[in-house]
Amino acid sequence: MKKILLIATAFSIAAGAPLLAMASPSGDLQAFRSYFQKRFPNVKMADFKDGIYSIDTARRDAWLEFEDFAPAYEDGVALGKELFNKPFKNGKTYASCFENNGIGIRQNYPRFDAKSGKIVTLEGAINKCRIDNGEEKLGWKKGKIAAISAYMSFTSRGNKVDIKVPNDPRALAIYERGKRHFYAKRGQLNFSCADCHVYQSGNMARGNLLSPAIGHITHFPVWRKKWAKKSEAKGKRGPTRGFGTIQRRYGGCNKQVRAKPFKAQKDEYNALEYFHTYMSNGLEVNGPALRQ
Amino acid sequence: MRTPQIAKLFAVLLLTSGFATGCSSQPGKPSASPEAVSAISAAKAANKKAKAVGYEWRDTGKTLKKAEALANKGDSAGAIKLAKKAESEAMLAVKQYELEKSMDRSLK
Repeated sequence: MKKILLIATAFSIAAGAPLLAMASPSGDLQAFRSYFQKRFPNVKMADFKDGIYSIDTARRDAWLEFEDFAPAYEDGVALGKELFNKPFKNGKTYASCFENNGIGIRQNYPRFDAKSGKIVTLEGAINKCRIDNGEEKLGWKKGKIAAISAYMSFTSRGNKVDIKVPNDPRALAIYERGKRHFYAKRGQLNFSCADCHVYQSGNMARGNLLSPAIGHITHFPVWRKKWAKKSEAKGKRGPTRGFGTIQRRYGGCNKQVRAKPFKAQKDEYNALEYFHTYMSNGLEVNGPALRQ
Repeated sequence: MRTPQIAKLFAVLLLTSGFATGCSSQPGKPSASPEAVSAISAAKAANKKAKAVGYEWRDTGKTLKKAEALANKGDSAGAIKLAKKAESEAMLAVKQYELEKSMDRSLK
């Protein structure tokens, strides 16, 4: 009798576990979308790609003026295009490392690589491409890598975010790690990502309107006025001065709640980016974009 | 086989003598009290635990460095005060990790 029970239990675990695991990310996405639809009933789901500008009319109008007139990121995108097309010493270009020659592919990143069992971010793939072609890797969070990434986002505008979480225990474990990071409180201020960008989204934190987490990643890398000012204060006035990747932002957010940030492009932030991006599945890529 | 063992022994002796020289008070240079050294050491150990679980707070390391700087200047009371603050932060960070690990705050 004991044996039968044991076999039955083992069978039910073996059969049930993958199903539960498969259901989890899509269930999370449904709950996420539903929450924001209820929180901001007047905002169309597709508009969440515009971040705070989807929930605040006055800010949206000012932002649209900037976007229409002369967006500050334009020169950075042009530089990114130039770098993207500039041959390496071996004569190859970035196009040789990516599907569709690297054009219009941002929506597929970050992706789970079954061979290594790791997450590949777009910036990670850019640097891998450099190393594979005998070049030095670039710094992770800003500067040239952000410009190249911004150009690749620019060529992907209008494509819908399409992150896959395969039914692979390694992919699911990374997804869960990212989810845990997103919802867990940390730092001296005891805040989670979700505290500000889910439960308090749309409210003010000092002079800042807290953006909804849904659609966060569609417009990265971003050109932040704050980052541009910081660079200018150091005498840097180049076309990438306001650029930053999503992982630069993660570090900033962690610091703001007085937690020690993790290193960019390592497992913790890669997991967070994987979960965070999956939560915007179905929204259009519209990066790069201006942000406060 | 004996040569590496001798080399190891020599290296240990060299390091020990180095520590002894470095830690002993030098004429004219203020030294920290054993209490201050102990408080800093306890705070460092606590912060190492917080770091290991990925929950280190932003300013704890900075506070520790300040404590060490005060200790080097001979301000043991100031060093102990900051070291205790750092230790307390580090312990709270570990508690925070333990609490968060046991909770699911995600949207349902």
